[in-house]
Amino acid sequence: MTTYTICIFTENTIGLLNRITIIFTRRRVNIESLTVSETERKGVSRFTIVIKHEAREDVEKLVRQIRKIVEVMAVFGYLNDEIVYNEIALFKISTPLGGKSLDVETINKQYKAWVVYWGLDYVVIEKTGNNEEIFDFFGYLKQYEILEFVRSGRVAVGKTEKGLVEYLPEADWAYYL
Amino acid sequence: METIASVVLDSTGVNSINELAPQETAPVTFRSGAQALMESLVAEGVDTIFGYPGGAIMPVYDALYDFQDRLNHILVRHEQGAGHAAQGYARMQGRAGVCLVTSGPGATNLVTAIADALIDSTPLVCIVGQVGRKLLGTDAFQEADVMGVTMPITKWNYQITDADEVPGILSKAFYIAQSGRPGPVLIDMTKSAQLELMTKPFHYERCQSIISYRPRLVPKAEQVEAAARLINNARRPYILAGHGVQLAKAENELRQLAEKAGIPVATTLLGQSTIPVDHPLYVGWLGMHGNYGTNVLTDQADVVIAIGMRFDDRVTGDASKFIKQAKVIHIEIDPSEIDKIIKADAPVVGDAKETLKALLPLINPNDFTVWRNEFRKYDAIEHEQITVPELSSTEGKIRMAEVIDMLSTKTKGEAVLVTDVGQHQMMASRYYQFRRPNSLVTSGGMGTMGFALPAAFGAQVGAPDRQVVAIIGDGCFQMTLQELGTIVQNKQPVKAIILNNNFLGMVRQWQQLFHQRRYSFVELQNPDFITIARGFGMDGQTCDARENLSDALDTMLAHDGPYLLEVVVEKEENVFPMVPAGASVSQIRLS
Repeated sequence: MTTYTICIFTENTIGLLNRITIIFTRRRVNIESLTVSETERKGVSRFTIVIKHEAREDVEKLVRQIRKIVEVMAVFGYLNDEIVYNEIALFKISTPLGGKSLDVETINKQYKAWVVYWGLDYVVIEKTGNNEEIFDFFGYLKQYEILEFVRSGRVAVGKTEKGLVEYLPEADWAYYL
Repeated sequence: METIASVVLDSTGVNSINELAPQETAPVTFRSGAQALMESLVAEGVDTIFGYPGGAIMPVYDALYDFQDRLNHILVRHEQGAGHAAQGYARMQGRAGVCLVTSGPGATNLVTAIADALIDSTPLVCIVGQVGRKLLGTDAFQEADVMGVTMPITKWNYQITDADEVPGILSKAFYIAQSGRPGPVLIDMTKSAQLELMTKPFHYERCQSIISYRPRLVPKAEQVEAAARLINNARRPYILAGHGVQLAKAENELRQLAEKAGIPVATTLLGQSTIPVDHPLYVGWLGMHGNYGTNVLTDQADVVIAIGMRFDDRVTGDASKFIKQAKVIHIEIDPSEIDKIIKADAPVVGDAKETLKALLPLINPNDFTVWRNEFRKYDAIEHEQITVPELSSTEGKIRMAEVIDMLSTKTKGEAVLVTDVGQHQMMASRYYQFRRPNSLVTSGGMGTMGFALPAAFGAQVGAPDRQVVAIIGDGCFQMTLQELGTIVQNKQPVKAIILNNNFLGMVRQWQQLFHQRRYSFVELQNPDFITIARGFGMDGQTCDARENLSDALDTMLAHDGPYLLEVVVEKEENVFPMVPAGASVSQIRLS
């Protein structure tokens, strides 16, 4: 299984997420993670979808079918070495009175993670990184009581010199502002 | 078009809208969403609508009352009929058919036709009522999530919740439906948006382009050149022409290319009639029940030129074994079709007409007589083993092939044939000698039983000067026979032939051949079809004797107005040749 990151640039309209995911469902491809946000160009949304698949050919077909959606402007499929990518994770760790104290120095220096909220008897730690780094940190934190753990979908930018948005069709963007 | 004065609005008689407008003031009133919709249709050049009213679309029907002089609304008997009629109309006119139905069940009844139109690339603009904006998502009366339901089966869909959106969205809808690879578009319009007044003057501008949607018409030169190189070096080239040729109106270009290079042409089911059957380069049609030579020889071509077709599994049989030996040129307007089923060595993304025009000057004149004659050898075998026995039986019941063959002769191969799905569909395609372009309307990709009767009606409306004949099975007929009412009410001279074998024939054939004759729920106890037709006010007769067939067809064709001819045919007849499902095309069976 190879991990592919699919970046989709679309107009920002209602129901588009549904239209896109239908294509994955029809082809029985499971979505590992999905992130949507507006790009530097107003009115243009960017979907970052991570899938695992055996056949590159099938991923290419998937990409072409997504491109066929009227509101989709561009679609790019990437292997991991073609992008810079990250995820963000939040850990809610129990810190009861008299419990094991948190080694903030290790957390900061070794794991590049930060305590972002101090509660009465818990803290929230934020860690960004790739999948492996986050699970490595998860392993370290297991010595404490993890009350909640949540991880975002992947965000990614291409390693090409130009921004991906540059590849979008020329148009009068004022229409979208 | 600027603002309209209230006096104009009054003359349109939309009282409910006036009630919404401020009573005391308003010397200038803008159009309601429903009126804007009507104006938009007129501005787009629409003159015919197939529809069925209901609660959530009533404001539109109220506005339509004042547009009857400009918009011919045809009241069908079931929304599915509206959809198929619009498909038949669209195929004849080469532009979008328009359907107008209400929310909930009205919209869901349309779903089959929308799916059919998507897979057969037929342009439709379906306008569907929806509950008022405040009721959306509340399980209101006749509310269904039509956007969700139709998302996977439309080229594009959109929900209008604001009257101001109407002209812009309508122009976009027609542009999307009719450009690129045509397809169905659905507009879900809330009742509140129909009633509400626009807040600005009505202005309709035809959509010319959409930023995120840019179908490529003119192909890239290097792709065309690559294709030309393959053709010029070919020894056994083979053209497979699909529906895309007809959609692009590229029949002449196809002929020019084939004639210049002497390349044999086969068509897909929906590609039939793009080249006349008596053309010396026409070799037959492809597919599960297509011609013998066309199927077998796909495995011997060295260059396959596929034009506007998508390698459906009914064409390829086992796709992993299909045209493995050949270099494939795939000319297709929809890039997602390239490499989808068959890997293309020379893909050319573009409109069939533009591409063939660009290709023609690059092709060297040639003449592949030896290769072409190969087809004739197989034709002779097919003729002897299949066609002659089918057409020359003297005892037993009439056979389907005889009916089609005789109809073909009597109409000189110039009628528009509208067929349903099953054995009669295959027989119609096998035995009708198409001589005019755009003469077959059938449900190919979806295989929708019940398609033919409403589609034939729509085709007749779309092509009033042509003889339209529907070929229908007894099973299919009973799925949409209520549309006889529409045909009679609108006085359309549709001729319908029911080939009645008292069976769901194609399923029965499969059960016979592949399920050891275990006939599982395929026999029908049929009604008296002619009595039914008469009940609708339509003339007709039954023919069950060979010696009467010619007269019966003459009577039907000479009849002024619609006519139903029931022909009682052989009960357990099979369609051959046949490529068994999952087999490779060269494993085609003659018996």
